[in-house]
Amino acid sequence: MITAESLSALKTYLREDQIVQSKDSSPFGNSGNMAVFPETEEEIAAVLKYANSNDLTINIMGGGTKRGFGGLTEKADILLSLDKYTGIVEHTPGDMTLTVKAGSRFKDLQDYLAQHNQKISLDPYWPENATIGGIIAANESGPKRLGYGSARDAVIGLRTVYPDGKVIRSGGRVVKNVAGYDMNKLFIGAMGTLGVISEITLKLRPVPKCESLVLVSFPKGNLEKIKAFGVKVLDSMIEPVSLELLNPALSDKLAGINTYTIAMSLEDVESSVRYQEEFVRNMMPGDAELLIYPKDKADLFWDRFYTHTPNGLDRELPIQTEGSIKIGTINLEAVSVLKDTELLQDRFNVKIESHGGLGHGLSQVTIRGAESDVANATAHVRDIAEKTGGYAVVTHLPFELRKKFDVWGNKPSYFFLLQGIKAKVDPNKTLSPNRFIGGI
Amino acid sequence: MKAKDRVKSQDKHILNLAHIVGGARSILYLKEDLVAYDCDGFTIHKHLPKAVVFPKNTQEVAEIVKYCSKNELPFLARGAGTGLSGGAIPLNGEIIISMVRMKKLISVDLENRRAVVEPGFVNLKLTNSISDKGYYYAPDPSSQYCCTIGGNVAENAGGAHCLKYGVTTNHILGLEVVMPNGEIVEIGKDGIPDAPGYDLLGLITGSEGTLGIVTKITVRVLKNPEGKQTVLAYFDRVEDGSQAVSDIISAGIVPAALEMMDKTAIEGVEAAAFPVGHPKDIEAVLLIEVDGIAAGIQEQIDQILEVCRKRNVREVRAAGSEEERARWWANRKTGFGAMGAISPDYLVQDGVIPRSRLPEVLSRINQISSESGLRIANIFHAGDGNLHPLVLFDARIPGESEKALEAGSQCLKVCADVGGTITGEHGVGIEKREEMRFVFTEEEIAAQTDVREVFNPHNLLNAGKLFPSPGRCAEVKKEMKAQAIS
Repeated sequence: MITAESLSALKTYLREDQIVQSKDSSPFGNSGNMAVFPETEEEIAAVLKYANSNDLTINIMGGGTKRGFGGLTEKADILLSLDKYTGIVEHTPGDMTLTVKAGSRFKDLQDYLAQHNQKISLDPYWPENATIGGIIAANESGPKRLGYGSARDAVIGLRTVYPDGKVIRSGGRVVKNVAGYDMNKLFIGAMGTLGVISEITLKLRPVPKCESLVLVSFPKGNLEKIKAFGVKVLDSMIEPVSLELLNPALSDKLAGINTYTIAMSLEDVESSVRYQEEFVRNMMPGDAELLIYPKDKADLFWDRFYTHTPNGLDRELPIQTEGSIKIGTINLEAVSVLKDTELLQDRFNVKIESHGGLGHGLSQVTIRGAESDVANATAHVRDIAEKTGGYAVVTHLPFELRKKFDVWGNKPSYFFLLQGIKAKVDPNKTLSPNRFIGGI
Repeated sequence: MKAKDRVKSQDKHILNLAHIVGGARSILYLKEDLVAYDCDGFTIHKHLPKAVVFPKNTQEVAEIVKYCSKNELPFLARGAGTGLSGGAIPLNGEIIISMVRMKKLISVDLENRRAVVEPGFVNLKLTNSISDKGYYYAPDPSSQYCCTIGGNVAENAGGAHCLKYGVTTNHILGLEVVMPNGEIVEIGKDGIPDAPGYDLLGLITGSEGTLGIVTKITVRVLKNPEGKQTVLAYFDRVEDGSQAVSDIISAGIVPAALEMMDKTAIEGVEAAAFPVGHPKDIEAVLLIEVDGIAAGIQEQIDQILEVCRKRNVREVRAAGSEEERARWWANRKTGFGAMGAISPDYLVQDGVIPRSRLPEVLSRINQISSESGLRIANIFHAGDGNLHPLVLFDARIPGESEKALEAGSQCLKVCADVGGTITGEHGVGIEKREEMRFVFTEEEIAAQTDVREVFNPHNLLNAGKLFPSPGRCAEVKKEMKAQAIS
């Protein structure tokens, strides 16, 4: 409970205007009875230390796009926003490394790096809103993970503020590093349950010299044929950066093609991109259709793609309930996940947009409809994932529905290790209580 | 029981362990047999193990671990023993659990680009098993013809081609692990990515065998690149070579490998088994490899040639044939051993620096060399900043080994001071425990030992590695307690 006493204590660390007492309310929860906006790492540490030693709880927020992702605490005592903790700490173009403060918006960083022909090799949803800290804390990745890897491949160093206020550095500023345990991995995807990631050092990639988007659509919708095509691409020498299957509804929304479509991003020197385009033209089945978008058109496609999912930043629930689910399977099972979830549309009277990576095994299914229908369909998506031996994690759902549905699914057999780590780092459960799997 | 299966020991632990692994052919316990296991590739510290056991499967590993845990016997796992930092040395007279008989390739699933191996499976054998289908396993440490994938996981091994393709951790999809209490856990089932929960795969990979014993590994395999070309460039000044490296990277090229050797290193490789005729008076040679879609290679090679010319290269050319390319690589890959041709002994170090700081670092290493009176050769994975200073010395001269160790440590200090780190691929092991303080505070080291306590609470598994000792008061107390028990 926030008392007048704790408020005045916080005022010794923060200016008045960094503390907002009006009740922050969001239909997605993960909020706080008051909000603080630290501007330095020392201020983050002071707030954490104070909360930790006074039995207060903290929710952490970056851009707010993931407020609907996990969490059974509607309001913690304090909402710690990293909105004012932004900016580039160091960029060494010759080393292709970038150190940034966690509250920096992803798109701002990409725009800045573009001036140096460099980029962060991640492709999250809502890049204009999402912060780099939130993307790393949620281990978010997109279709281009096939070519560029995920956060665990891009992050080379972190500064993390522990609940007791210590700042723990992990990794460093060099791209190759095996000194001690690889503690970076512990904080990536930990959903803010171990510490507040304050600073992130990333390995960068060059902006490709040439880029195009190849869309192969399959009017007959025969998924066995689509899978066979995917296998052939993966077994060929071409190197698409994405090999993402889109369901007809999503393909229609993004490209106006109302059939299953595979989106392949080709990114390399021009001679290589042109060669790969021709290769796809010659190898695709006769009844498939090909569209090739040059870079400007491809950019528009991807802009639409990265904003097609629900955004936790919304202050009010839309008329139709929205849910979004991340599914992990063996790579090619992404095809059957899309196929089986498609059938839920008629069964539960919901609209589904889905995509899945044939080369990395991660799919995302977004469901829209009446509340109870979305809830039922979501439960079935998990059944579909588990039937293939995979898992389903709900990455967006209104708070009220999350209370009824375990968004993380079953605990793994090694849950005691996860619990043990949490107990060592955050014994008082100060940070992001109940945000993560098994109530961690 | 046949005579050769009988264990001739009075020690009940030896007898019980022998029983678990099925008799005398799966355990070593006589001093003359144990000597071969008193160190690994780091030969400065030696200690005899109590015994070496050779389990055949996960269940046997789990039973051994349970037995050791129950009887408070220290234990550790060992692969091929090629580690360069002493991670497999039985400092506390451990029971060594050798994984070399668990060496099966369990399954290959090329459509889903994954393979499952036992930990004793040799790195290069995986690539050899799938190369006819056009696939390979990317991490390629120089010892890949004999090192095991289990050991690679423990050390998070790198290699010459990790600039573009990453190190071991970027290629591990799943692990079966025997925990220090004997429990078997499966992490990253079937190689499915992003299992919900903290990323234990990432944490265990590179933990140098202190968190658990890996008994099964799911790895990612890759399709062979269609084309490949290598360029060799000679520079009269290190600064120019170094600047060329930065320019290549800044030009947006991601080479598969980008290697540099300095003058002393060139002297060594030219005196050894695979000379290629590098001029003796140049200060730096660069070896640059580009791979990918064949149609796009020439464009990148032309650009590399142009960059090198702008940086005053004395001579630069692309390999004229596969044979020439192979000779260049043999010359480079045997670089460490080649130092034997110009020095009785040498010590390999493994620092990492931001690559833009190379000229400054090399001049400081030169200073360390002249102050210590020992020559230092530098072999450098220039693309990713991983520097291997090779300190040349003669162990027969009293005091020179110590001087070499000290010079090596000073080189690491230089790397740490410019914002780099003390090891890029060889691990901390025993060798660099104290140097951990160059890069981490006491609190940060304690944060790591806290994690170890979750997995390995009694510290019976590979104790005394990775962290400086005594790390802090609590560690000292624990050690004293451990001593009081034994």
